[in-house]
Amino acid sequence: MTDAFKNTPPKPEKLGAMTEEDLKAAFAGESQASQKYLAFAATADAEGYPNVGRLFRAVAYAESTHARNHLSVLGGIGGTADNLKAAWGGETFEIDEMYPAYAAVAKLQGNAEAGTSIRYALTAERDHQKIYDTTAKGVGAGDDLGDAAIRVCPICGHTVIGDAPDECPVCGTAGQFFSTF
Amino acid sequence: MTPDETVSLDELERKLPQPAELHAMTEANLRAAFAGESQAAEKYLVFAEKAAADGLPNVANLFRAISFAETRHARNHWRALGGIGATADNLQTAFEGESFEIDEMYPAYVEVARVQSDKQAFKSMHWALKAEMDHKRMYAEARAKVLAGGDVAAQPVSVCQVCGHTVIGDVPDNCPVCAAARQAYRTFV
Repeated sequence: MTDAFKNTPPKPEKLGAMTEEDLKAAFAGESQASQKYLAFAATADAEGYPNVGRLFRAVAYAESTHARNHLSVLGGIGGTADNLKAAWGGETFEIDEMYPAYAAVAKLQGNAEAGTSIRYALTAERDHQKIYDTTAKGVGAGDDLGDAAIRVCPICGHTVIGDAPDECPVCGTAGQFFSTF
Repeated sequence: MTPDETVSLDELERKLPQPAELHAMTEANLRAAFAGESQAAEKYLVFAEKAAADGLPNVANLFRAISFAETRHARNHWRALGGIGATADNLQTAFEGESFEIDEMYPAYVEVARVQSDKQAFKSMHWALKAEMDHKRMYAEARAKVLAGGDVAAQPVSVCQVCGHTVIGDVPDNCPVCAAARQAYRTFV
């Protein structure tokens, strides 16, 4: 039903430098709001407020549409081969630069909980980098990825293609709790 | 350790990073990491839509799965930062975030986009500003209900997939912000 979407999301355009900076900041803000609201939804459900949980989830989705619109105007959406390359680049920066530096500072400062949160992320980003790399090669040769299920540990984000392990090699969570895509 | 049917996800979640007293540099780093993970999660969702449109459903599935992994990282970082409170507090945090966007951020950005004649950017900012006004009101009402000891009413919440307009209850024939038809709404039930 393409008519329903007649008023299409904003398109990329040549941007003034200040507007570009603003859009990047707005994309960062919307992305973080969306993630906060998803976390708040889980808390609302756990506290016995399922309808507040629903509100948080719906508004999180609204913030996602804003983030997508801002990213579109910024020219951040390419063809899938380019998007895989961009995703690989982001993971590589996190693995080579960002998380090792953050992990070292957390260790230096004796912040063990922060260290755990950073270690979980760093370990999973290595999975993602590898998967994006092989997928980009396939798409570059004109092939889709295989249709095997992709499983994600809901505690640490460890990501595998195919069967879930008996327990997560990173955080020890039982495989039965992995989310399946 | 083998999978144990008596272990609930709630129990496992106790293994998540807990809020802790943080040194200034570690706190700054966790905030930056939360920002990075949040933006990665959103980008991958958009890339998933594009992959589906490009006829690559399994790549789309991959992007969605990895986006979910990044939301787990974002949650862990946000939790270690002490950002997750009781629901009444979370509604207040959400209300304050929307208020900042409405009173400060988007009016300034919309004005700059106008001065620089960036029409698409103006549209993207304007649509967001409009929706944040709805969100602020909904969060204020929800907080009042929760403080009075109740949940909000069990009504569907619908979101325009084009501009993010958010409505509780019936969906309008056309989005009042971007004029998309009612079929463009995604409903959360």
